[in-house]
Amino acid sequence: MKTSAVNIRAKAEVYARVLLEAAQASDRVFVLTGELAELLATVRGSLELRSALSEATFPEQAKKAIIAEIFSDYAPELLATFEVMVERGDLATLPRVCEFYYALAEEALGAIILDVSTVVPLDEELRQQIITKYSSQLGRGVLLREYIDPDLIGGIVLASHGKRIDASVSSQLENARQVLSLSQ
Amino acid sequence: MKQNIRLVAIGTAAMATLSFALPVLAFAAEEGEETMGIGLLIPKPGEFIPMLIGFIVLWIVLAKLAWPAFMGMIDKRAAKIKEALETAENARIESERVLEEHRAELSRAKKEAADIIATARQTAESVKAEITASAQTEAEILIAKARTAIEAEKKSALAELQGSVADMTVSVTRKVIGTDLSDAEHRSIISRYIAEAGSFNEN
Repeated sequence: MKTSAVNIRAKAEVYARVLLEAAQASDRVFVLTGELAELLATVRGSLELRSALSEATFPEQAKKAIIAEIFSDYAPELLATFEVMVERGDLATLPRVCEFYYALAEEALGAIILDVSTVVPLDEELRQQIITKYSSQLGRGVLLREYIDPDLIGGIVLASHGKRIDASVSSQLENARQVLSLSQ
Repeated sequence: MKQNIRLVAIGTAAMATLSFALPVLAFAAEEGEETMGIGLLIPKPGEFIPMLIGFIVLWIVLAKLAWPAFMGMIDKRAAKIKEALETAENARIESERVLEEHRAELSRAKKEAADIIATARQTAESVKAEITASAQTEAEILIAKARTAIEAEKKSALAELQGSVADMTVSVTRKVIGTDLSDAEHRSIISRYIAEAGSFNEN
């Protein structure tokens, strides 16, 4: 079990470094952080997709066709790396690949990647406000990866390295609902 | 009985014969006595002897013939009466004994009946008290359960009502904010929240 975990970690680091080198060659290091996160979310969200890509008896060509069909908009270096992972049966290393890639990308970019979710697109003034605040807090430069999420209703959600600051209206309403429900 | 009647008739006939055989002496005596005072009380030998003989004869006849039969009849009758009296006395004693036994039996029966009634009454009282206590206990348990159920239902209903009110409030607020805010207002809220939001280092 321990050996298996070590192997996964080692393999994930190799995949992440290969992907980073390819991304640096195409100058898409930052872009790939977002696409890699979306790819991970897609694979995690579909049991059928995971089963199809993990099934050893399933033809490799069919697996590649599935990847090309679903992730056609993603960067070619990301798709190539992902196809190799699937071909070698290393789909389970994907979450660790993401972690390693984020760390390597942040190191390469000299900044911390901050996921920012809002209801409306950020304007330049808000971007600067966020960068200024969190650059000073974290002591490094900040790169924003922006997402639009209508379910937030309002406000903002910030996430980085597994930590999350939820300043959305939906969470505040949920808190208010719980307080109202539990109050005697 | 017939023999007795016959003896009495014989005695009567003897007396009549002596009376008719000495009428002159009787009259003579009557005439002499009328003339003397004390002589009236002293019997005359001429009258006395025949009368004595007649009396003796009559006494002998009666003693021989009538008296034994008469006495036998009297004795029999006395024996019958005595027997009847003894029988009656025995019957009386027996009836008194039976009556006493009946009285004792009745008294015992009354006592037993009273005991049975007392026992039955005591048992009935005991059963009544037991049933009453049991019913009261069951009623108290039912009431307690009902109160608990009512309290739980009340709390559940209140919680459900609070939840419904909270859901409705949040839903209305969500709709109002989601539809009525412009992009500029959203950005204004985002800006304010960024300023108020905490640090990653705090989490």
